[in-house]
Amino acid sequence: MAAVKHSLVVLKTVKKIVVQFCPFESNAKSTREFLVMVGSERARSTNMNCVVTTLVKHNKSEPLVDITYVDGDRLLMNSAKLTCSEMFKAFHSRCEAKDPHAKVKK
Amino acid sequence: MAATLCGRLFPKQGWLPLTQSVRHGSKAVTRHKKPMHILKQKLMAVTQYIPPKPPIPRGAYPPKIITVKEETGLMLILKKQVKTVFQDCKMIAVIQNNSINSEDMLTLKRRLHKHGITIKFIPNEVMRSFLQNGIYYNLLPLFIGHTVLMVSKEPKAKELLLSLKGSPQMVLLGACVENTLLSAEGLLSYSRLPSVSVVQGELVSGLTMLTSRTAALLQRHPAHLSALLQQYVRQQSPEAGGEQEAPKVEETV
Repeated sequence: MAAVKHSLVVLKTVKKIVVQFCPFESNAKSTREFLVMVGSERARSTNMNCVVTTLVKHNKSEPLVDITYVDGDRLLMNSAKLTCSEMFKAFHSRCEAKDPHAKVKK
Repeated sequence: MAATLCGRLFPKQGWLPLTQSVRHGSKAVTRHKKPMHILKQKLMAVTQYIPPKPPIPRGAYPPKIITVKEETGLMLILKKQVKTVFQDCKMIAVIQNNSINSEDMLTLKRRLHKHGITIKFIPNEVMRSFLQNGIYYNLLPLFIGHTVLMVSKEPKAKELLLSLKGSPQMVLLGACVENTLLSAEGLLSYSRLPSVSVVQGELVSGLTMLTSRTAALLQRHPAHLSALLQQYVRQQSPEAGGEQEAPKVEETV
């Protein structure tokens, strides 16, 4: 499942991704998995201008994923109760909608 | 069919091969499955295995018997290593690795080695089984996904943070410095602390500030001290002083 996802991550339409979580909380697991997926080499190679930032907090705040697209749109995901696959589906559907002609490198 | 094959197998006179494979019951091309005879089909259908239905569907209740996996020898060795690491090293930092390049990893290793910090790769299972029965169980939620331990005998937080600044894929999750758990921000503020001697000096100077002042006062001329004490008495009793002054004024008048 993870292998399939890694090949599908295309960041061409994404400008910036900010991932924020508290590692000592139990609800950060899906956020960390999403971060690994998005920060993988393959994903990064699709767009070298996209910046993936990680903020590690310790204030019992909810984990958050903030994606800024090239055309100014923002996608905010409160990932406390979301699974990694759900987050990826939401992110991927929006990426595809923005740029349907982008071909996936395999 | 065997006869035709036999004809081909002995082309030269007196030449007998050691093994003869004679195909029997099948055609030349056996790539597709042979259709079963109707009688055989019927027999297979009648004698099909129907497994007994479990009284409780699987997954409905938690298992009565909890299977505890025996730890493999490698796990035990790694556990011992981890134990020694936790005993010897004063600073242990947990870092998440988001697929760093091998070159970047090498440069990072070299930079850290200059300051005496080593990088340890330990499987999560071993870490979890070690941390569960110890005093460090609060570190358990950190070990999800690809994590890396950076350990050093001396708590060199500043150098660690500077080296990690150069590689954005390594995310600092938490640290255990001198048996105290710290978050990422905690480690940052720890690195900004002045050295122990400086802090001790500040504390001592703060405590002895008052006593040093009195000592300085006493060393000066006693007239100064008496003037100060008189002023203090005047300030202490302004009302009493006011009442005394009023009747004095009346007397004079």
